[in-house]
Amino acid sequence: MIRSRFSPSSSPPWLALLLGALLLAGPARAQELGEGLQAHGFISQVVTHSSDNQVGGDSDDGLGWGLREMGANLSWRPTPDWLLSGQVLGRWAGETDDGGLRLDYGFIDRTLVSDGVNQMGLRVGKIKNPYGFFNTTRDVAHTRPGIIMPQSIYLDRIRNFILSAPGAALHGNLAANDMDISWSLGMVQPDTSSADLESLFLLSDRVGKMKGDWTWLGQVMADFQGGRWRAGLTLGDVRMHYQPGGDPLLASGDNRLTPIVLSLEHNAEKYSLTAEYTQARHENGGYGASPLAVGLQKPNTVEGWYVQATYRPSLDWRFYVRRDEVYLDRNDRYGKKNPSPFYPPFILFAKDWTVGVRHDWNAWEFSLEYHDVKGTLWLSPLDTAFGNQTQDWDMVLLQAAWRF
Amino acid sequence: MTEAARPSVVPRRRPGGGTVLLCLFLTLGLAASLAGATEIIANRSVAVSSLSLASARAVFGMRQVKWPDGSPIRVFVLPDDHPAHGAACKERLNLFPYQLRQSWDRQVYSGMAQAPSEVASEEELLNKVATTPGAIGYVRKVKGNDPVKILSIE
Repeated sequence: MIRSRFSPSSSPPWLALLLGALLLAGPARAQELGEGLQAHGFISQVVTHSSDNQVGGDSDDGLGWGLREMGANLSWRPTPDWLLSGQVLGRWAGETDDGGLRLDYGFIDRTLVSDGVNQMGLRVGKIKNPYGFFNTTRDVAHTRPGIIMPQSIYLDRIRNFILSAPGAALHGNLAANDMDISWSLGMVQPDTSSADLESLFLLSDRVGKMKGDWTWLGQVMADFQGGRWRAGLTLGDVRMHYQPGGDPLLASGDNRLTPIVLSLEHNAEKYSLTAEYTQARHENGGYGASPLAVGLQKPNTVEGWYVQATYRPSLDWRFYVRRDEVYLDRNDRYGKKNPSPFYPPFILFAKDWTVGVRHDWNAWEFSLEYHDVKGTLWLSPLDTAFGNQTQDWDMVLLQAAWRF
Repeated sequence: MTEAARPSVVPRRRPGGGTVLLCLFLTLGLAASLAGATEIIANRSVAVSSLSLASARAVFGMRQVKWPDGSPIRVFVLPDDHPAHGAACKERLNLFPYQLRQSWDRQVYSGMAQAPSEVASEEELLNKVATTPGAIGYVRKVKGNDPVKILSIE
């Protein structure tokens, strides 16, 4: 099923050629190819080992080699007011992603107003969606807050859905005194092609198809004192619908997700404290009258938060600890009110302690991370079927990454 | 400012009063010269002679890409771990090098902005700024005959 979705036919050969050429051509950190023309790229590999549950391959009491990312981008600024950017991405993630190359983003950005301090512009094309602090570059190991993203806000099971999408966005910057406010307001059609998305919203990868509808996403991010303090608000009105095809259990239906994300960070010279909180209301209509459909029709509010402390004794070392909690239904956190015949109750939440260390060496980055987790909300049933999942589990990950 | 208020106390120590005052002024003078050790420099074609702190952060943060006259800004920087880079970030922009790196990475890998041009040494940076129209950068020492202009941050 997954193979067919990311088959080679869906990734044009020119993407592979471009990616290969750019990765080979990038000996230095930033590659300036000419006046206003730059190339950058990245590659990372993670090895996983878990006590139970599969993450990135056969990690359960073994080693999983199935988490890998590579990407390369080109940007061209012919004049200060125009910017053309595009990035090709290959990603492998256990059974949920098989590395088929895709256009991660590709857009034109036109500056409309710029007065030396404040500015406003318009992006049109396939754009990255600002969502919390880290969404836009979540596939680039060097920019992540750890090996595994905090799943309360950046749930990997819906990563494609939230990551980037065709559409347009107005964006801008306002600076005054010791404050800098950046904002963006986008209208996009979310990507619903991932089988994992259906496993989250419909409990399994079904014969029908989810289709993205026009969706609003907005963000305001304020930096105080050059980023000593950062505070952000992300709002969304995300919509999609289900085309059942020959689905025997589900009729056509609509889904609407309205997330709110609050972000707060304090940056000192040697340490940072980062916290984000989300609530996302999920409502749907239609889907018919089968027992599965009736189960799906119940609205829910996802709630999650994480707090991370990062200590940097020097520029090339960092140590971090994180608490990350997420609940699929804040009114029934442990599935006690409405037990389901379709899944065990612990797939409704995940509570995770993470500790990690990262070392940077030139363009390389090496990380070691440990997770102690209760609940399996962020695991994909494509990797570990609901019936085989274990509630209490832990995991060690090792990552090597390079970029230019 | 708090140091400036101290001389009212100092004269009480009669015998060494003058020496203490002298030391105080020397210390203050040294501190002032250290604080101003890094200079923001620009190509002589650049029409402005000063930048607000917000504007300087926007320029080095790669969010502001043109000068008020519309000409392109070219930003030159040193490696993250170069002492002059750390000094320029802290003294002139009042932020930490890792913050600038995070901000560049997030923009570069989402296509929203381009990276600054990185050079290996202060000599090379000075040469690039001197010879590239619209260029901006920083060095720890500017000599009187260096062919660049110094921008003040207000």
